[in-house]
Amino acid sequence: MEDDLISKKQLLDLTGISYGQLYRWKRKQLIPEEWFIRKSTFTGQETFFPKEMILSRIHNIVNMKDGLSLDEMADKLSDKASFEKVSITAKEIVERNIVSTTTLRKFGESLGDENKYTFEGLVHLFAVDRLLSAGEMSMEEAELLFRTLQEKVSRLENGSWELFFVRKMGVSSFILAQAPAELWFDEGVRLVSKMTYADLIEQLKGKLAYKLVE
Amino acid sequence: MDKHQLPDLIINGVSGGAGGTYNNVNMDGVGKVVGPIVARMFKGNGHMNLNDDLAAEEAECNGVIKVMGNLSFCTLKVDGVLNVGKSFRGESCTLNGMVSIKGDCELEDFVGEGSFNVGGLLSAGHVDFKLQSQAKANEIGVESLVIRQVNNGFWSKMFSGIIPKLRPELCARTIEGDFIDVEYTTADIIRGNIVIIGPGCTLGQVEYREQITVHPEAKVGKVEKVGE
Repeated sequence: MEDDLISKKQLLDLTGISYGQLYRWKRKQLIPEEWFIRKSTFTGQETFFPKEMILSRIHNIVNMKDGLSLDEMADKLSDKASFEKVSITAKEIVERNIVSTTTLRKFGESLGDENKYTFEGLVHLFAVDRLLSAGEMSMEEAELLFRTLQEKVSRLENGSWELFFVRKMGVSSFILAQAPAELWFDEGVRLVSKMTYADLIEQLKGKLAYKLVE
Repeated sequence: MDKHQLPDLIINGVSGGAGGTYNNVNMDGVGKVVGPIVARMFKGNGHMNLNDDLAAEEAECNGVIKVMGNLSFCTLKVDGVLNVGKSFRGESCTLNGMVSIKGDCELEDFVGEGSFNVGGLLSAGHVDFKLQSQAKANEIGVESLVIRQVNNGFWSKMFSGIIPKLRPELCARTIEGDFIDVEYTTADIIRGNIVIIGPGCTLGQVEYREQITVHPEAKVGKVEKVGE
């Protein structure tokens, strides 16, 4: 768990924002209360954040800041619906470097109309692309994953999921679970990668934020 | 629904009322309200007891007011004592007296004289406060914070020596902000960009990014420059 968290001080050093901005964004509900995780350390109590989510959220805020007021931004960021309406063309995906061309060429067609990818479809594409480009997954496995996501995600109740990619004795499998999930494996199992839906959409939001500002 | 069609709640003398959505709420004397109130304008004079939430665009409290639930407002003026059971949220607050909040306090502008007591986080854009007795907050996170001690006379100096609660000082565990200018403050840690520490401070640790000034009469444990 420790790797997934970032302390407040590290966050400020990394992003170059100030305490005032952080508290202001929290007051405006640009950063959800649940992300402020309090833990005691040897210097007293410190505040931690879920690393990937907070970094991409701050990136989003900084990029959107010029076009919108803070209140408008809070509406947009918290409102997943505005992103769900977004549709994007294959050309834009390549131009904006959202998903690599290899992945797009292989799986793009099965998502339907080339000029109108939905947000949900893009999330699946993005998930596959992340594992592929990290070199953690072979092409055959990618196909399996993509098919699993396309077929099974809609069956999950609240639409929020976590994906576990495990290998044992060279055999790989994907486990899709309702978030938040905690799984325990036996010794022979290696957890290659874990992805959460919340993380993925947070990162995608950042890449698609330009669509909303236009 | 049009705003002017809403009813008013007026309490004079010793009486009670029910919560609801009102245009004006005027309470003079001793009043008690059961249920949450939403009002455009809230005015309380005397001794008020609200056992639930209060949301008002404009609020004015003179006397002793107790709100058991959340208090949210656009502008608030307090002369006297205000007690809030849960959170305290609003744009600007002018305080003359004492306010005590059990939960978190979120404000853009906080100006006043007297003392405050915040159980959770005091998060504000700008705080400009003159202390008359002991103020407390668990955590403070602000853009700018200016704390001053009121120049008090002979008698209050004498009493504050006997009763520690009357000593004008600020106690907090952590203070974080862009611009921090404090005096007579006790804190475990202060983190800020520009930090000015005045007389009478007792601080465990100070972390700053750009600039620091420490008064010779302040006791500071460790000063550290962070960043870069």
